[in-house]
Amino acid sequence: MIADLVTIDAWVLAPVLAPALGALLVLVLDVLAPKARGSHLPLSLIALGAGLGALPYAVTADSPARTLCLPAPQGRCLYEVEPWGLGLQLIILAGALIVLLMLGPGTRQLDDVQRGGPAVTVSLVLAATAGAAMLPATRDLPTWLVAIELATLPAIALVALSRGRGAEGGALSLLMVSLTSFALLAIGIALWVLATGDATFSADTVRAAVEDTDRHRVLLLSILFLLAGVGFKLSAVPFHTWTPQAFAVADEAISAYLATVSKAAALGGAIVLLSPLVVLTGAGSDDGFSIRLVIGVLALASMTLGNLVALRAEDPLRLLAWSTIAQAGWVLAPLAMLTSISVAAATGYLLVYAVGSLAVFAVAAAVHSGAEGAGERRLTAYAGLARRAPLLALVLGLGLLTLAGLPPAVVGVVAKVVALGPVVDAGLWWLVGAMIVNIVLGIAVYLRWLLVVIRPADPEAGLTRLRLDPGLRVAIALAGLAVVLLSVAPGLAFGLVR
Amino acid sequence: MGLILIALLLPGLVGATLILLSHRVGSRTAVGVALLATLGALTATVAAVATHARIDRPWAGEIGLGWIFESDMISAPLLVLTAGISVLVVLHGLRHAPTGGTPGLYYGLLLLIEFGALSTFWTRDLIVFFIAFEIVLVPMWVLIHRFGDDHDPAARRAAALRFVLYTALGSSIMLAGILAIVTQVGSSDMRAILAAPPQHSQMLIATLLVLGLGVKVPLWPVHSWLPPAHTIAPTAGSVLLAAILLKMGTYGLIRVPLTLTPDGFARIAPLLATLGVVGIIWGGLICLVERDLKRLIAYSSVAHMGFVALALGTNSELGLRAALIANLAHGVISALLFFVVGSLKERWGSVDLAVVRPALRETWPGLGFAVMVGLAASLGLPGLAGFWGEFLAIAAAWNPAGGGTALAVAQSQVSGGSWVVWAAEGAVSTELAFRGLAIVAALGAVLAAAYSLRVAKVIWMGDAAPRDRAGDLSWVELVIVAALILAILALGLFPYAVLPSPSGPAVLS
Repeated sequence: MIADLVTIDAWVLAPVLAPALGALLVLVLDVLAPKARGSHLPLSLIALGAGLGALPYAVTADSPARTLCLPAPQGRCLYEVEPWGLGLQLIILAGALIVLLMLGPGTRQLDDVQRGGPAVTVSLVLAATAGAAMLPATRDLPTWLVAIELATLPAIALVALSRGRGAEGGALSLLMVSLTSFALLAIGIALWVLATGDATFSADTVRAAVEDTDRHRVLLLSILFLLAGVGFKLSAVPFHTWTPQAFAVADEAISAYLATVSKAAALGGAIVLLSPLVVLTGAGSDDGFSIRLVIGVLALASMTLGNLVALRAEDPLRLLAWSTIAQAGWVLAPLAMLTSISVAAATGYLLVYAVGSLAVFAVAAAVHSGAEGAGERRLTAYAGLARRAPLLALVLGLGLLTLAGLPPAVVGVVAKVVALGPVVDAGLWWLVGAMIVNIVLGIAVYLRWLLVVIRPADPEAGLTRLRLDPGLRVAIALAGLAVVLLSVAPGLAFGLVR
Repeated sequence: MGLILIALLLPGLVGATLILLSHRVGSRTAVGVALLATLGALTATVAAVATHARIDRPWAGEIGLGWIFESDMISAPLLVLTAGISVLVVLHGLRHAPTGGTPGLYYGLLLLIEFGALSTFWTRDLIVFFIAFEIVLVPMWVLIHRFGDDHDPAARRAAALRFVLYTALGSSIMLAGILAIVTQVGSSDMRAILAAPPQHSQMLIATLLVLGLGVKVPLWPVHSWLPPAHTIAPTAGSVLLAAILLKMGTYGLIRVPLTLTPDGFARIAPLLATLGVVGIIWGGLICLVERDLKRLIAYSSVAHMGFVALALGTNSELGLRAALIANLAHGVISALLFFVVGSLKERWGSVDLAVVRPALRETWPGLGFAVMVGLAASLGLPGLAGFWGEFLAIAAAWNPAGGGTALAVAQSQVSGGSWVVWAAEGAVSTELAFRGLAIVAALGAVLAAAYSLRVAKVIWMGDAAPRDRAGDLSWVELVIVAALILAILALGLFPYAVLPSPSGPAVLS
């Protein structure tokens, strides 16, 4: 019956279906065998692995790989994976995998940081991941909105279940922001349908809407609402306020999830929204100019404010929260140019940022779990890390340098080059200037942390050995290896997305 | 291509390994391995330069980057200089064990800096040039921060951070210029860009490039990172900074704006020349009153690099030659001076010129001789390396490019570029203005003589009663000093042996 209405290619859908099924299986297993705490992690890893394993299928299939296609004459496909979507799905699934390894469900460590037991944590992560993986491939407004919420709500629950002091408060502020953002998105979608008469993101109907003066105005209003709603998810200034609060109360792994997987999903949503607007941005078009201006100003504000506040942060997680706000600006800046190259640049930048962030978060989780008085997270806990745990310090250093964009983390440098390229090409010199200043500010932010790491340790502090959970070890190793591999062959990261 | 790979990977990989294993390797192993690596790199570099080895293969082809490594008249002397100075700084560690961290870390950092500098001078891909340019930042930051002058940790931290942030700002500005070229031409291969140079906004691109590279050179007024960094860095760091890192700036000026955006560069060249001359006078005046000898040498670098900027600013073939030779000369002279001053600091505890000390010529004649050669070369005595660069720079400014370039400058007045072109319309012609610059630069050379003689008088002549004569040059210092003095003499007596005339501004062979 359904097959008559739409065509379904399960392999193309697998990156979404695998984590969703995994979430379901984990819950069922928990009901059937409540004692089997150790089986949730392997099961979830298999689910994510299956999703990752299905990604090459979309590469070899027609580009873009399509499914859920309506029958002719309309023939629109509601699920399309373009190269950038593939790159985002890779970040989302691999990021979720590393986060799950960091959480270590089934171990004592998880119970120390997270309430609700392993099954709940794992299924929430998998559910949010399914929504996130869905988002870059959606092509119609209702599914887009559902995917955004599916990616967001479980993440809020994860923050709420954290054992950190004030977790409920942080989760509540995140929830309020999400509701506001949902409201903005809902209004935006309503206006979009009103303007275009179409519930899909289609360039043709946008072009038709632009030609009519009234509908044109409604469309612009709709874009404004939608951009604001997506801005919350990306944690771009001025929609960023939830980020430091949530990061400060949540566990490192959950923060890492918000900083990488959720951000990749948000970027996917933003690109899906902006792609049909390319028709607005022809030479000399006022609309193109305005959209560039709006997104460019958001990017400028995000990177500048994020870096300036991060410069003064003492809590490493707060520093990372502000740095993720700054990095959101770096993702938005090339995206503002609204060309296919700029989409690839934003996605490639995000990929590199995610790898660097995961390395930093994983090492932070290791260091903080070993520090006495787990409630206190301060940069000073890193003093002498280079001496105490050289390998951890190496991975942390590579991660921080990737974010700063300095060799030996060559991939970070290439990411900065790639992000700056479209902006220079478009001749937006005010934004180029802001980005140059922010390269320097960012270096100051991350070197400040690195400085503590290479500082000789306090002789009194004693060389307590860090005892790491095996999952966390694997996560750190994977993230570190990814930075090294991409630094030797940066083409891997950027070739994937264009 | 094997030779280039050896010359690059030997310091790169050995350096990284030494840092990774820094807690396991002892002092002797570290210095031995580092010495072998630098000697191997020197041999491979000389052989690669002599055989015109080249590499041309894609790297990260998805974003259009290539591993294109090739040397020519411009880069070959700098490559050999880099590899040679690297051997000497490692050798210096034999005499003066590093303090502040493990030996493995120290030598690893030196090797990584060598790796970055060699890659910068070798590559022909603009984006890879930028990446290579950045490689030296973190190692040098750690080197200053961990191994620098241990009298004042706060000052050390500040100097290290200022170095990183200043140079990162410069290279980011340069990156904007590079990307403007690359996006216009559609390739980052310098040969492709030379074949089809960017058509639009060359003026803007050249300004960005000159401004960005000017930080590294350093050009007045963006030189203020240099004195603290050079003063606080350990001797090896100061030598690497002065002899190699500054050269990356001038090399970049020649390789990128002068070659790839010639029209734009021609328009802002007079500004470059002016800033260079201001730097000459500025550095010279500070050197007249500076009390700390190491800081004095650092400021003299600002003055010397000012001559290079002036030479490049004339935008003439003679000026280009002057810049190349002055660049090399400053490399060896500043290396000698920083080595000798480092040795003095080690023996005296400080190099404050206000402290009355026994005459160097009587206590330690070997060191005294080395200081005198360094100072003489620095003030531009004929027959030594420093003479040619400054003499030719002034000569080039006295008689700048002639019709072609002057015309371009004159046109830029008409087309609204007058904010950078200082030459007044009508009354003062460009040529006359350049002659003015030449006269001021010649005055700067007089200043150099004055401060060099002042230093010589204070430390060579001395005032206090002579004391124990033990402790003159050790054999390691003797080797280093002898090698550098020979290089200074060779450059002074046979400048054209190392510098066959490059064929005009189209310097890519």
